[in-house]
Amino acid sequence: MSVNKELQQRYSEYSAALDQAALLTRLITAMEKGELTDELLEHTPELAEVKKLNDKLKYRKSILEKSIAEQAAKNKKNGVKASAPTDSKSTAPADKKAKNDGKTGGAAPKQSKKVDYVTVEDFGSSILGRLQKLFKTAIADAFPGLDLPLLLAETPNPQFGDYQCTSAMPIAAKLKSTGVNKKPGDVAKEIEAKLPTNVDFIEKVNVLPAGFMNIFLNKDYICKQISQLASKGITLPKVAKKRVLVDFSSPNIAKEMHVGHLRSTIIGDSICRLFEAVGFDVLRVNHIGDWGTQFGMLIAHLYDRFPDFLKKLPDIADLQAFYKESKKRFDEDEVFKKRAYECVVKLQSHEEEIVKAWNTICDVSKKYNQIVYDHLDIKIKDVGESFYQDKMVELIKWIKENKPDMIREEEGRLIMFPSECTVPLTVVKSDGGFTYDTSDLAALKYRMLEEKVDWNIYVVDAGQNLHLESIYAAGRDLEWYDINIHRVEHVGFGLVLGEDRKKFKTRSGETVRLLDLLSEGVKRATEKLKEKGREAVMTEEELAAARDAVAFGCVKYADLSHTRTQDYVFSFDRMLDDRGNTAVYLLYAYARIRSIVRTSGITDAQLAEYVSKNPILPLNHPAELKLAKQLLKLSDCILQVLDSLMLHQMCDYVYQLATLFHDFYNECYVIEKKDGEPPVVHFHRLALCEVTANVISTCFKILGIREVPKM
Amino acid sequence: MAKKEDLILLGLSESKAAETLKNAKLTETIGTIIASAKQAGEINKPRGNLLYQLATKLKPQVAPSAPLVVKYIMNDGIKTEPQLSAAIEYLLSNTVKGIEVSAFEKSCGVGVVVTIDDIEDAVTKVIGEHREKIVAERYSFPVGKLLGELRALLPWADGAVTKKEVDLRFLELLGPKTAEDLAPKKKEKKAEAPKAAKDTAKTNGTSSSSDNKKKEAASTVEADFSEGAETMDELLRTRAHFHKVGENFKTDGYVTTPKTAELLKAHVAAVGGKVVTRFPPEPNGVLHIGHAKAININFGYAKAMGGVCNLRFDDTNPEKEEEKFFTAIEDIVNWLGYNPARVTHSSDNFEQLYLWAVKLIEKGHAFVCHQKVEEMRGFEVQLSPWRERPIEENLQLFEDMKHGKFDEGEATLRLKLTLEEGKVDPVAYRIKYVPHHRTGDKWCIYPTYDYTHCLCDSIENITHSLCTKEFQSRRSSYYWLCNALDIYCPVQWEYGRLNVNYTVVSKRKILKLITTKTVNDWDDPRLFTLTALRRRGIPSEAINRFVAKLGLTMSQMVIDPHVLDATVRDYLNVHAPRTMAVLDGLKLTIENFAELNLPSTADVPDFPSDPSDPRKHSVSVDKEIFIEKTDYKPDDSDKSFRRLTPKQSVGLKHIGLVLRFVKEIKDAEGHVTEVVVKAEKLTEGEKPKAFIHWVAKPVSAEVRLYDRLFKSKNPEDAQAVPGGFLSDINTDSLTVLYNALIDRSIAASKEYDRFQFERIGFFCVDKDSSDAKLVFNRTVMLKDGGAAGGK
Repeated sequence: MSVNKELQQRYSEYSAALDQAALLTRLITAMEKGELTDELLEHTPELAEVKKLNDKLKYRKSILEKSIAEQAAKNKKNGVKASAPTDSKSTAPADKKAKNDGKTGGAAPKQSKKVDYVTVEDFGSSILGRLQKLFKTAIADAFPGLDLPLLLAETPNPQFGDYQCTSAMPIAAKLKSTGVNKKPGDVAKEIEAKLPTNVDFIEKVNVLPAGFMNIFLNKDYICKQISQLASKGITLPKVAKKRVLVDFSSPNIAKEMHVGHLRSTIIGDSICRLFEAVGFDVLRVNHIGDWGTQFGMLIAHLYDRFPDFLKKLPDIADLQAFYKESKKRFDEDEVFKKRAYECVVKLQSHEEEIVKAWNTICDVSKKYNQIVYDHLDIKIKDVGESFYQDKMVELIKWIKENKPDMIREEEGRLIMFPSECTVPLTVVKSDGGFTYDTSDLAALKYRMLEEKVDWNIYVVDAGQNLHLESIYAAGRDLEWYDINIHRVEHVGFGLVLGEDRKKFKTRSGETVRLLDLLSEGVKRATEKLKEKGREAVMTEEELAAARDAVAFGCVKYADLSHTRTQDYVFSFDRMLDDRGNTAVYLLYAYARIRSIVRTSGITDAQLAEYVSKNPILPLNHPAELKLAKQLLKLSDCILQVLDSLMLHQMCDYVYQLATLFHDFYNECYVIEKKDGEPPVVHFHRLALCEVTANVISTCFKILGIREVPKM
Repeated sequence: MAKKEDLILLGLSESKAAETLKNAKLTETIGTIIASAKQAGEINKPRGNLLYQLATKLKPQVAPSAPLVVKYIMNDGIKTEPQLSAAIEYLLSNTVKGIEVSAFEKSCGVGVVVTIDDIEDAVTKVIGEHREKIVAERYSFPVGKLLGELRALLPWADGAVTKKEVDLRFLELLGPKTAEDLAPKKKEKKAEAPKAAKDTAKTNGTSSSSDNKKKEAASTVEADFSEGAETMDELLRTRAHFHKVGENFKTDGYVTTPKTAELLKAHVAAVGGKVVTRFPPEPNGVLHIGHAKAININFGYAKAMGGVCNLRFDDTNPEKEEEKFFTAIEDIVNWLGYNPARVTHSSDNFEQLYLWAVKLIEKGHAFVCHQKVEEMRGFEVQLSPWRERPIEENLQLFEDMKHGKFDEGEATLRLKLTLEEGKVDPVAYRIKYVPHHRTGDKWCIYPTYDYTHCLCDSIENITHSLCTKEFQSRRSSYYWLCNALDIYCPVQWEYGRLNVNYTVVSKRKILKLITTKTVNDWDDPRLFTLTALRRRGIPSEAINRFVAKLGLTMSQMVIDPHVLDATVRDYLNVHAPRTMAVLDGLKLTIENFAELNLPSTADVPDFPSDPSDPRKHSVSVDKEIFIEKTDYKPDDSDKSFRRLTPKQSVGLKHIGLVLRFVKEIKDAEGHVTEVVVKAEKLTEGEKPKAFIHWVAKPVSAEVRLYDRLFKSKNPEDAQAVPGGFLSDINTDSLTVLYNALIDRSIAASKEYDRFQFERIGFFCVDKDSSDAKLVFNRTVMLKDGGAAGGK
């Protein structure tokens, strides 16, 4: 038996070694080919884990896409036209919003139709926009009358080309429901046949049997576009010009601006910048709260505290405290209360001295607000509630004359039930006074009929949604505007939260004053720059510029980079981190790119000459091409944000651009230094750097971030 | 609640009353019965006795009708136990249809008076009919049979009186019992089963309990197969006391609703009055010996009752399913000799199940919950804070789950229901972002076992839902769910699970054994998967008989592998032909071979134990033969050694030769390479002490000898095996002999051909065999361990 045993042992050792060798060979082959074989996954548990997660996410994506398609079909049946949901991102916030509405009870009457308000005249360097147009036309040619949303998106895996159109599957399904049996693959082939040939930017379209259409971009086209961007500068898509009013910031007089006003101010300004960038005529409107009964007590208190206010602008250091004092007296002192009411009556009858007092208070308040606006580079024009005082009287008259059926009297009040609204608007109170409903209606009427704006955008917190949608519904009922032409939209946003995920407060529990917050930002930015040893290499002015750019840029960027409709946590530590999606990271990246060009020793003229001689830049390295493609997406990004007014999409874009540049710079020498030889400058890469910096600069301008060439 | 005095009033002894009081449920029933009885009159001893019987026999579904029976007991309308039984039976049968008092009275013989004369007449008649036989068989005549006939004649007669009368007549007829009458009865059947029974089958009621003391006590119980039968058919016809088709409501614990009667009527029509069962494996692993019991019971019961059995793949968990398991399972079911009437899949019903889930939500029976799995498990589980959310919200959230709006684990659908074991609100649906091999990417919510199982049973109109005892605690949720949806509700019957010692059967653990190369694959013959057993050479008939012998007990049994081996041996002994093979050969040269004038071949019977069996095969005879090395000893010191030594002769089986030692031939290292012998014909006079097997002109083959894979009885017991089951591996569980010698007559065998290698054991041809070389697996050893090759 012992010989047998030994034989058995030797044999099993030999075959085990053989198996092991064969296994390793298989694993290496699989790795080289990039094939995720079961065996490979078994030996790389982390990879297996990640693959599993990836598979699940893909599966979930397909389920979500199907659900959206189902919902779209259902909506269509019910007569609701669906927006073209190209990705699930744009639907997620909508859901969240819907849920919030559900909580507050009584859904807002939504404009039931989604209209494309952006008319593109020239897509510029936009690829997605052009592709969508091509495919929409081809599908309409091949399968007229189907009316399904186009499914076309970037592909995560270069194996499947740059973009992928998956419309063939829903089309095949739709055809099947009408009794036509066609495989998705055949549908895709028919679509392909209708695509124009020789499209300059498409290299090829691969149709897979399952119906996927993989689109590969033409390399030369990309190289040409980059060369043009380098020679002619950044061009944005051309969009039909609009007259646009953006209502944002809107603080109350006599109360200091606090963190609650931060989001409206930052988002509103950025939206204005975007509109201005594409050449719109923009009215930046501050609908300040400068009218109301509280002015009676403030004026009365002003007379007592600063009797000589008519001669000299009173020195009210702390308006907040002034407000509190007068409120206390108003609540406790009956005589004072009476005087305060008298002041209100006098103000409403425009008694000169009282109006002066009112102006004084407004001026003090506005002076303070202006400091904040200056820090944040914000321009805005006050058209406050006081502006609409006479217009409200006119409004009631107008309604009574033109649309008497719309209002009705109830318990002495005049109320109005706009279509699909469960809560009525109170137009005139029982005491004859007006409400916010009245002033907002008057403002809407003025903006649409007198200012004649095409778009009227309200940047107001999400909590006001129900109110605003009711006002819009009333506006539609009163036929002040046509939703097919006029875009009247509430751009809502979530709360600013503290790091404890509760409403942002000071340690003592008070609301945070905006000015204090910004000062804190400056302090933190100074520390950050010191920590990096910047003061050693920069002049005092450069340092100050960098400090302010960091301090105010980080606050703005943190706000803009979060999905607008959701709450976000305010954290200086996070927004000043120089890694991750922060202004600091981007500012560093930008300064670095500029410095690469600056220190290359190549003059602008030399570079311009090179570019003019190379209308097709020789981009070959995968990292170069990846970066180039991202650069060309700027136009897509602009068009997308014009439609969604979601600025985080632009933040995502520029952040991705910065990381791709980082990858590019790690893999490709711009200036190659070899021992003993003079450095070689790769001009095409230098051009790529220049274009990247310019694109980032363009984004900074829209986001309202000050760029600094040195950090 | 009844008090002790009440119980004594019913005629219970002091101690019995105290015992009864411990049973809260029974005590409560007795309490209500006594309460209503006291209103009707005085409880005397016979009445008390009947009332107590009523309390113990009453099934919950007819409890509301108890006062009716009490009334008749108290007015002496029901006076005997047979009457009482008939009364209860009537209630049970008619509770669904509605109870009519006149029919009730008739059914239990209210008002019927049986006199002593009636009984005497009836006994005279019945004994007269059997007189001859009684005289011949005397007291061994089955009295039970007579009593049965008497019961049919006089259903309401007092059984005790009748029995007394019969005994009296026997005495008259036969006289007192003689010594012969008192001697133990001879068994009529030949004792063939006891052989196997004596194989010390050990059953163990508590199985894997870590309570050692209990285990020792339990494992000393010898299984005698007393609960079992020789075949599944016999077992299920005689021992399975399940309800009749359509009489679901007669079983314990069945819950009836106003719709039950109507649903049962439709159900009976749908199945045509025939039994429908199902075998519902999850297609996420291969079947093991435990499944053999489930297959046999489900398919067997349907077969015995003339019904049908479905094979249903319970494929509700897409993560673990693989196509190969489906085919393997069906293959094994066929191998065990059963053909499913239909092959169904739980996933076929996903759409219906989803619609029912929506219906449950609409009825307020289910809610969407966001508790994490950890929060739902363990003791003192907090009730879900989402239990009372509005129906509308639940409907919307369930749609959201279906549409992919939640991540895995973020939401589940739960049923509002508490299970017996205290588990609250079982999960009905969970989110999994995994495609299903049959429904593709249609769903991302998948139903759970608890939710799916009973509903699929209902859809398939299963009459008897047979399952292992672990599921007893799910029975109430099973009934609740069917009733909540107003659909046909099958009856769940449980039986004890079958486990085997010295092995593991969980899929995960077997997979671990495979990945650690401890075993080669799912069908490695050392495992107890059914494919492994098949490969080892165990015939399906033996497995079925093994299951049949274990019976339909409720207790979980843990069986030692050798109990199965014994059944296998019994079967193979009469089914596997014998042949001679030498596992580890020693060459013998018969120096006087030419003088013997033997033919070049000899005939050997295939089944020598049965001389009437004509089957035979022929073996070569030659000058050079091979015997087992262990059948030769070069010295004579061991007196107990009975085979070939230099001084001791030995016989060769089947050709009647006796060999005597001549000389040893050794190689350079001194090992014996050959023994030269002299042969002579066997004569009557001088018989050698032993006859050994041999081969001539043999063919080489590979033989694999298997032993237990684990050293411990229960490798999963953390106390006995603290290092985990992988630390308990018996490293010598496989011995491969590369140069065994087989007779040429079996050289052309095919996979699964089975043989008894004489004096060694039973072997089966393995699938690894090639034309060049056969590979044999040792299925089981002979009972005495075999002459060679063992350890």
